Amino acid sequence: MKQSYDITIIGAGAAGLSAALEAYDDTLDILIIEREKNFGGILNQCIHNGFGLHVFKEELTGPEYAQKLIDLVMEKQIDYLLDTTVLNISKDEVFSIKATNITSGEFIIESKSVILTTGCYERARGHVDIPGDRPKGIMTAGSAQRYLNIDGYLVGKKVFILGSGDIGLIMARRMTLEGATVLGVAELMPYSNGLTRNIVQCLNDFDIPLYLSHTIKEVVGKEKLEKVIIQQVDENRQFIENTEKTFEVDTLLLSIGLIPDVKLFESLSIDTDPLTKSALVNQKLETSVKGLYACGNALHVHDLVDDVTIESRKAGKYAKAYVINQKDIDKKQVPIRFDHHIRYVVPQVVDYHLIDEPFDVLFRATQKHDVLKLVIKQGDQVIRKKTLKYVVPAEMQKVQIKPEDLINDLPIEIMVEEV
Amino acid sequence: MYDFTIIGAGIVGSLIARELSKYDLKVCVLEKENDVANVQTRANSAIVHSGHDPKHGTLKARLSVEGNKLYEDLEKELHISLLRTGAFVCAKDKDEVNDMKKLYENALLNQVKDMEFLSIEEARVLEPNLNPSIKKVLSLPTTKVCFPWEVAFFALENAIKNGVELHRNALVTEITHTNHMFTIKTKDNQTYQTKHVINAAGVYTDEIATLINPNIPYQIKPRKGEYYVLDKSVKGYMEHVIYPMPSKKGKGVLITPQVHGNILLGPTSEWVSDKDDISTSLKGLHYIKEHIKDMAINVPYHLIIRQFAGVRSTSTYEDFYIQEDDAVKGFYHVAGVDSPGITAAPAIAKYLVDEVIKLSLPVKHTFNPILQKKIVYKDLSKQEKDELHQDKPLYGRIICKCEDITEQEIIDAIHGPLGSDTIKGVKKRARAGSGLCQGGYCESLVLRIIARETHKPLHEVNYDQKETQILDKESKVGS
Ligand SMILES: Cc1cc2nc3c(=O)[nH]c(=O)nc-3n(C[C@H](O)[C@H](O)[C@H](O)COP(=O)(O)OP(=O)(O)OC[C@H]3O[C@@H](n4cnc5c(N)ncnc54)[C@H](O)[C@@H]3O)c2cc1C
Ligand SMILES: Cc1cc2nc3c(=O)[nH]c(=O)nc-3n(C[C@H](O)[C@H](O)[C@H](O)COP(=O)(O)OP(=O)(O)OC[C@H]3O[C@@H](n4cnc5c(N)ncnc54)[C@H](O)[C@@H]3O)c2cc1C
Repeated sequence: MKQSYDITIIGAGAAGLSAALEAYDDTLDILIIEREKNFGGILNQCIHNGFGLHVFKEELTGPEYAQKLIDLVMEKQIDYLLDTTVLNISKDEVFSIKATNITSGEFIIESKSVILTTGCYERARGHVDIPGDRPKGIMTAGSAQRYLNIDGYLVGKKVFILGSGDIGLIMARRMTLEGATVLGVAELMPYSNGLTRNIVQCLNDFDIPLYLSHTIKEVVGKEKLEKVIIQQVDENRQFIENTEKTFEVDTLLLSIGLIPDVKLFESLSIDTDPLTKSALVNQKLETSVKGLYACGNALHVHDLVDDVTIESRKAGKYAKAYVINQKDIDKKQVPIRFDHHIRYVVPQVVDYHLIDEPFDVLFRATQKHDVLKLVIKQGDQVIRKKTLKYVVPAEMQKVQIKPEDLINDLPIEIMVEEV
Repeated sequence: MYDFTIIGAGIVGSLIARELSKYDLKVCVLEKENDVANVQTRANSAIVHSGHDPKHGTLKARLSVEGNKLYEDLEKELHISLLRTGAFVCAKDKDEVNDMKKLYENALLNQVKDMEFLSIEEARVLEPNLNPSIKKVLSLPTTKVCFPWEVAFFALENAIKNGVELHRNALVTEITHTNHMFTIKTKDNQTYQTKHVINAAGVYTDEIATLINPNIPYQIKPRKGEYYVLDKSVKGYMEHVIYPMPSKKGKGVLITPQVHGNILLGPTSEWVSDKDDISTSLKGLHYIKEHIKDMAINVPYHLIIRQFAGVRSTSTYEDFYIQEDDAVKGFYHVAGVDSPGITAAPAIAKYLVDEVIKLSLPVKHTFNPILQKKIVYKDLSKQEKDELHQDKPLYGRIICKCEDITEQEIIDAIHGPLGSDTIKGVKKRARAGSGLCQGGYCESLVLRIIARETHKPLHEVNYDQKETQILDKESKVGS
């Protein structure tokens, strides 16, 4: 192992592996650092089907998808460190990456460029204020998934789920198949936050009720969870009287959102986006720190692994170009603006000096729309229109912008035409 | 036969045990929980108050000021963490400015040192996030913040090393007194015989006392306080402890920096009927926000990572009740130790032993007041880290990614005289799971390490109390 690399990739989930493959070039030194003893990241605990239709043109399980990427990385003989945690990153001339493992203790790796692909973490009870007692038996759906799919244990027999995020839906089916009873799923919003296919295949097919516009009023149980009381809420998220329902359960799984894990940004002064809770990037997925790229769930939360791979390949490609060309181009960054129909966009800024090919703007809607008519403008001028069908907040959308679409140096605005 | 049996291993019982371990006595501590420091000492603001607000002349006033000073000794001897924050008391209107003068006079009588009045402009130079509409500030430089679990652990660990015995899961249910000897029975069917009993059972002191004497002059009226914890990335938002002016309801809702960089917002103050009611509520958050508003601006509520509640052992006696029982000689009450009980605890222990029990024994020559410093790997220099890692390679592997806690630190928390084999016990000792992701990442890893280190199957590892396994035994997939 060397002490200095051209590109270092932190995290070896779908994003890290995909970025590494694209960044690969036999003239460059590339290193992947991964905290776990295995490659694959979160895919290792997603033993269900439904990955890879886009990228590999076949339906794979999470571990199978990961294995395809791992095999390719092994072929290329890219350097890697497993069972190694990156503690922090700083930047002077080059990046200095402080990491630790059992073999070496703490050590430093220098790198010209860094791609951060550290994934995301799940929101837990403390992040959302679930009132009531504080017993054991309340955990995130992802934790329960790991206990079941990696360690081989169920965490309980009678289960209620808060939040209709995909992990919760998948766990509803998985725990039912393993002999637990799932009494229901409560979702605060009037629509589901999971993919439609998961609502059908994980709830409807197993007769598990989904209570929309409901949330937890109280959890009861001193040492162990005994029951969960839910209640309906109105448009202002206020409880509606006389709508309580009580479920006697030993487990409450939380599937209430994922947040990018950006601990490693702390030691760098970096521009962040409060909406994605991660770095602000330009269309090359470069953060405000030159040579630092972010992609995958560390940049914003993706529902489909295929999208992670597509995005991360770009990060790999641009990091490679950065190291090879490394010439100082002045930045000319303008923001991408959007209206209240849109929750966030990635990239958040466009660098007009770096426009050389089409780029995707990814976004999520704030609400459900059967038809969504987008108007893309620069200043007063409409540069493109696009109509999307059946848009839900749970599913990421994209619009492509081509160099020839751009007519001036003004910020790009994505607006929704009311219908 | 024990010379002394202490009921309760909160901060008070633990420091009393350490005080008694100086002498050639046979001492034991009985604790109903599966771990020490699990009740009031687990859930409070952690402030070592300067002693400004208890009414002059009370035991609370005297022992707070003495206790505050004794924390300096605990820092040297037990290597506890101590954050020298100082505090600002904030008066928000004219009436409160007048009351503040009285508070100052009272604090002077209590012999609180180095106080000064500041204008809000002066205070905001030091704390820019104070609400500019505050009228006057009283600065209390001697206020500090400790980590109460750690104080209790370290005191008890030191006591154990000096010969004290600890029994966990020992819920005292019966005490009888015959021939100058007490017989104590616990729920797990053990019997302890002892010459003296020290009742330091927190919210349960009244119930323990009535086992032996139905006519005690105090009753515990539990009063709950709820809190919000802000992630450590909030560090720097507020460096001082910020108090409103005290009221009948106590010290009020505070902003309190913690030794690990977090900030606590709270507590609320609510009478409850159930002494074990540590539930949290939406009402609580609302109450806290309403009251914080008067003191601070730019409050980073988006950094909330947790809620919790604690129950104060407030008594009808209105002062600490630290006395030998009038009727039953050899039975000592340490009751009504609500706030500032963390502050006063080291002074309570000394007061009880020196002035109430009036022990006049020589300190035993084997007594060692020093506890070796606990290793917090991330705080060490590179050289110290390398030396430790050479010897124990598991210092090189991170388990808790939010707080950078290594596998060896988890192992250290499990073993040792006051180790724990529960998820929460490890969290209390090593902080694994206290950070931003709240254990979402490391809990399953900690569970596996506990199982390996204690030679148990995974499904026998408890969350906290006995019978609170995280994994369901019968449901192992594929077996
Ligand atoms: C539970 C779950 C179920 C899903 N189900 C589906 C599905 O059915 N179909 C589908 O298409 N998609 C699904 N997805 C989405 C998709 O699989 C994920 O978004 C994708 O795998 C994320 O890849 P990633 O590389 O960004 O993150 P991760 O896979 O989380 O990888 C991040 C990696 O970084 C490592 N790391 C983090 N910090 C450090 C550090 N400091 N030092 C070293 N290493 C570090 C981690 O150990 C981890 O291996 C699911 C996602 C989740 C979370
Ligand atoms: C919300 C809140 C905020 C506070 N803030 C502060 C502060 O900032 N500064 C400060 O100085 N003080 C503060 N206090 C007060 C302080 O926490 C207490 O005074 C202190 O913890 C009391 O310690 P203790 O050992 O007496 O009680 P505890 O920690 O409650 O210990 C009593 C022990 O007795 C055990 N026990 C009870 N019954 C039995 C039985 N039958 N058999 C065996 N064992 C038994 C219990 O399990 C418990 O472990 C606060 C308190 C609360 C609740």
